Amino acid sequence: MNKYQGAIIRVESDGALSIVHVDVKGQHFSAIIIDTPDSKPYLKERSPVNVIFKETEVVLGKEVQGHISLRNKINGKVAKLENGTLLTKVTIQSAIGDVASIITTNAVKAMSLVVGSEVQAMVKTNEVMLSPITEDKTEVAP
Amino acid sequence: MMQIDLQKELNGANGPLQLDVKLDVQVGSFTSIYGRSGAGKTSILRMLAGLMTPDKGTIQVNNIIWFDMAQSINVSPQKRNVGFVFQDYTLFPNMDVKEQLTYALRKGDDSSVVQKLLDIMDLVKLKDAYPKTLSGGQKQRVALARALVQKPRLLLLDEPFAALDRGMRVKLQDYVLEAHVLFGLTTIMVSHDIAEIYKMSDLTIVIDDGKVTKLGKPQDIFANHEVSGKFQFTGEVVTIVEQDFLLIISILIGSDFVKVIGSRDEVGPLKIGDKVMVASKAFNPIVKIIKS
Repeated sequence: MNKYQGAIIRVESDGALSIVHVDVKGQHFSAIIIDTPDSKPYLKERSPVNVIFKETEVVLGKEVQGHISLRNKINGKVAKLENGTLLTKVTIQSAIGDVASIITTNAVKAMSLVVGSEVQAMVKTNEVMLSPITEDKTEVAP
Repeated sequence: MMQIDLQKELNGANGPLQLDVKLDVQVGSFTSIYGRSGAGKTSILRMLAGLMTPDKGTIQVNNIIWFDMAQSINVSPQKRNVGFVFQDYTLFPNMDVKEQLTYALRKGDDSSVVQKLLDIMDLVKLKDAYPKTLSGGQKQRVALARALVQKPRLLLLDEPFAALDRGMRVKLQDYVLEAHVLFGLTTIMVSHDIAEIYKMSDLTIVIDDGKVTKLGKPQDIFANHEVSGKFQFTGEVVTIVEQDFLLIISILIGSDFVKVIGSRDEVGPLKIGDKVMVASKAFNPIVKIIKS
């Protein structure tokens, strides 16, 4: 699980859904959730939140060009590769900290990923969870 | 309405514990009491049954006073008409199943209730059996049937299924729910099993250090606040298979098994039997009609 502390910059709501924009050390994240500022009062500017996403939901790109629909894009360098037969866990060093991604070992080979490769880690907006950071506890808002 | 206001100094595991509980319970509802060991849960049941006398307070059921320290009213346990089932089935070793129930009848009671309870609790075939030949689940069914012979208004259950395996626990829960509805009982149950509390109760009370710390519907207390139909459940870890850096975790949610891919970083020192929250973004699940 990838988890980073940040703060809400902006909330766009329509009906029951909201897209929440979060800043994590200068890195922009967006998350879509089935909640609105009415149902979850923490959904307001400057609220501290954790941005959470599973490593299996992190797409990796190398020398990505053109347009891509994924809204969450983190630049970094491959710091570690843990090879399994089918899957590989790639740890990427980035400005917000380590980002873990689990992709197929076939993909690692096809992309010639090695330690030091420059990559872009990408996560769909609907795969990002938020959890408000309160004084005594955190709750997850899937 | 049952109005409960109890104060008593208890000898807790960590020294004296001041129990102070105020609570309104709807007649006909199913309430669960959850909390750490030694928080005062069982003492609340004992005071409601009249087996323990509060230092102060009142217990009032539909405007009938069971206990009022100020007015020196303390209705005896027999007259409160309360059914009580504990974790360890206390059956008479020298009586068969039917005799256990008949013994609980009061003078003038209609004895047909015994037959009815044998039916409901699936004990007809076991009516001539003695406790030593019964399984844990069967004994607990007898204890439950016996508690219901006097048609109590209030049924108190103190971790009644804790000693049973999961399959038997689930069945017993169904028996209790059936009896709760059929007899129009007001039921208060102490339980440590969140899945059980979810399944059975209308209202959950969390007790800590002798005080009510949370009160509400189980889904509001155990899940996140203001849950609005998201993909989130609580379950119990059944198996954990490690494969490379991944964990394949089987989790029992209600009576369904699910498998979830996780990692050690994510779940930490997870072990079989742990209660877990399983959450996913609401965007991932697929819905398909299987019957309409």
